[in-house]
Amino acid sequence: MNAIPAELLHIVIGLVAVAASVGLIGLVMVWVERKVAGHIQRRPGPFEVGPSGVLQPLCDALKLVGKQLFMPLGADPILFWLAPVLAFLPVLLLFLPLPVGDGLQALDINLGLLLILAFSGLAVLSVLLAGWASNNKYGLLGAARGVAQSVAYEIPLLLSVLSVSFVAGSLNLATVVEGQGTWPWNWNIMTQPLAFLIYSVSAFGETNRAPFDLPEAESELTAGFHTEYSGMGFGLFFLAEYANMVVVCAVATALFLGGWHGPVLPGPVWFVLKVSALMLLMVFARWTFPRVRFDQLLNINWKWLLPLAVANLLLTAFFVKLAQFA
Amino acid sequence: MEALLKGLDILYLAKCDAAKTGQTWQAFLPAGSLVRAAERLLKADYFIEDICAVDCVEGFVVVYHFDHFEAPGRVTLRVVVPHAAPQLPSIAGIFSGAEWHERETRDFHGVLFTGNPNFIPLLIDPEMADCFPLRKEEKARAKAKAMLEAGEVIFCAPAFTLMTPDAPAEANEPGGDQPATA
Amino acid sequence: MTRYQNIDHLAGDFYTQNFAQTAAEGNLILNLGPQHPSTHGVLRVVVELDGEYIMRAEPILGYLHRMHEKMAEVKTAAQFIPNMGRVDYGHALGWNWAFVGAVEKAAGIEVPERAEYVRVITCELNRIASHLLWWGAYLLDLGAFTPIMYAFDDREKVLDILQDPTGSRLTYSYYRIGGVAKDLSQDCLDSIRAFIPWFRSRLPMYKDLVTDNIILRKRIEDIGVIEKDACRRFGATGPVARGSGINYDVRRNEPYSVYPKLDFEIPTSERKCARGRYDVRMAEMEQCLRIIEQALEMMPEGDILVKGAPKPSWKVPAGEAYFAVEGARGKIGAYVVSDGGKNIYRTKLRAPGFCNLSLFAEVSRGTILADAVAILGSLDLIIPEIDR
Repeated sequence: MNAIPAELLHIVIGLVAVAASVGLIGLVMVWVERKVAGHIQRRPGPFEVGPSGVLQPLCDALKLVGKQLFMPLGADPILFWLAPVLAFLPVLLLFLPLPVGDGLQALDINLGLLLILAFSGLAVLSVLLAGWASNNKYGLLGAARGVAQSVAYEIPLLLSVLSVSFVAGSLNLATVVEGQGTWPWNWNIMTQPLAFLIYSVSAFGETNRAPFDLPEAESELTAGFHTEYSGMGFGLFFLAEYANMVVVCAVATALFLGGWHGPVLPGPVWFVLKVSALMLLMVFARWTFPRVRFDQLLNINWKWLLPLAVANLLLTAFFVKLAQFA
Repeated sequence: MEALLKGLDILYLAKCDAAKTGQTWQAFLPAGSLVRAAERLLKADYFIEDICAVDCVEGFVVVYHFDHFEAPGRVTLRVVVPHAAPQLPSIAGIFSGAEWHERETRDFHGVLFTGNPNFIPLLIDPEMADCFPLRKEEKARAKAKAMLEAGEVIFCAPAFTLMTPDAPAEANEPGGDQPATA
Repeated sequence: MTRYQNIDHLAGDFYTQNFAQTAAEGNLILNLGPQHPSTHGVLRVVVELDGEYIMRAEPILGYLHRMHEKMAEVKTAAQFIPNMGRVDYGHALGWNWAFVGAVEKAAGIEVPERAEYVRVITCELNRIASHLLWWGAYLLDLGAFTPIMYAFDDREKVLDILQDPTGSRLTYSYYRIGGVAKDLSQDCLDSIRAFIPWFRSRLPMYKDLVTDNIILRKRIEDIGVIEKDACRRFGATGPVARGSGINYDVRRNEPYSVYPKLDFEIPTSERKCARGRYDVRMAEMEQCLRIIEQALEMMPEGDILVKGAPKPSWKVPAGEAYFAVEGARGKIGAYVVSDGGKNIYRTKLRAPGFCNLSLFAEVSRGTILADAVAILGSLDLIIPEIDR
């Protein structure tokens, strides 16, 4: 009988932890989003179910799970049900390389960033499949927009992340975090502010969050690519969106905001606090700003973010090389 | 107004009391002059207010209201079409907004506007578009002259008797004044 | 007349098939509405899309058509007033006024001065409520979920004020032939006086947070340019015309009631785009406050209903009359033709939205789908008034 390799055990435990936390994150985020939305809009938000409405997301989840799963006439059965699964499952993998604390990383791999970027690309496929398989014109339009947007915003995202890796010398997130210090002036945001800006904007574009949420623009396209999904199909897209948000904020924390570094409190606590702060910012942005029009959205990317990201990368590479000679 | 419609074949032209009825001028036209009158009004910078029809004993009186942005004063053009063959040329080629007003008049009264670019039902469902709800029964119709303002007549074609008062005792001037309200 | 037959269900209904006849190969035909999360109401627009660009658009009406003009022929004049509250729920008092004014004109009834002032005050308050509804809904269409909540908070105050004299919160039937139904109580006047400075303090916040927001500006500037000539050809009035630089307001150009005595500006914009129309409506809200302030000062004591006011069974004397008021959306016109009988012979309701929407097909050609939504919102459409 062979002993189970420690690596495999490590990953399995990590996956279980991730799956559990993704579910928990989904519940918490739904509540936070609705409460924040309520207060920004001068109303209380959920307050009936549980103290201050805390059990509301649970009820929503139960409702979604309990709904009938049906498929529109003429929809492709395999692709239709594959799309939400494809949206959700890869997201679990994205959590693995994240360094939650000192030495606390589900998967200590030298290509951590590459793993994250590669698997987040699968989300594009799920959007396309959802829109196409729905046999719905709105869905198709939403999917077309979603694909164009996701593909576009991956590039500045990648370039800004690369700039930070150049400085740190590794694609392993743990290494990047270790390169930063305890206090804000030791964080990478000080050395790479432009990359942080580009990354933030691209993050909104990648996760389809307002003000870049045209693929799901309610007032124009009913619900865009997930128009025909109800019940758990929609639930999976929903969960995937929040999980993506967390991943994107977590990567930002690890790359720019010092990861788990921080005075007094233990690493994981700081990590969670920083990620939560960024998530809160994303929620605020959604309820404050109107939507950017689609061609303007793509213009921002191709005409502004991309040249800036390239310039930033070249400059970073130049200074890194210079530092090697010094 | 007279200068505006000069040279066109008109049946009746009168200056009206805006305080009483809201219009400053009114003219009855034959169907043939309608399009050219509309052209002249557009050139004089009038805008189209609305088009409607009134079902009277003599026929459908199709009423066109025009007004002006800079020099306000409502101008009313009227065309009478017979019940049996209610057909008029469309002015949608000149006043683009007339397309919808004409479609609505067709829905309500059944008046046909030849030349309307998209002459399908506007408000009433296509499956019951021929019900013409605002058409009146024979006995419910009233005479146009009893309701519409006669105004101060500037010109009245000799054959046009729609607006001439009935009772011979009250007719002291040809096409004379008749108070608009009872 | 031909009968229209709908045969092929997958190809769409009569209107879609009619529209598709002249569609180019490869273009997508899409129905925006009639059920729509956007808050336009029951509007259906069939568009022919080449990618994201609109090649052709055609609004389809009739989903909310209740045939008010026929109802006017089977009701007496006084019985028809509640209908006027339902034609346009946004600015119901404007429609009240148009119809009641037309009947008063036809019958030669003069309204007492206090009643005129009450009409002005309540109509302007209703205009503020209508513009707030438009503003909130427009921003909701553009993806900002928060301003509508603030707009409705302000609207609540206006609706609370108007609830006391009118008895309704939305579909008012408050005006009567010869005046208004009930006087403004002292409580009501006090709450109006309290509302004015409070609302004035809100407008700068809306300007800072919403109007000056770069994302909003990029969405509405240079979108949906309407030339003056188009306004003329389609009969567009109200903020749509004023946003294109035409200085036309029924309160000034065809004065009625006590408006000649009041001092207020008519905001216009030379921008001609959606931004121009937006600016005009925001500025109009401030002018409404000015009008209300002056009217409160100048309002005399007296009757609110003319002596010997018509009873519900009263017959309109024979004759015709056209009366127009400046509604929130444009020039509301009521044309009544009476033969002296129990019911009015013909009532024609001229809806400003009807003429404003008819220019959408021309304006939206060649724009992006997202812009079409911005243009529709900037026209301030209330479908019940368009369909009547």
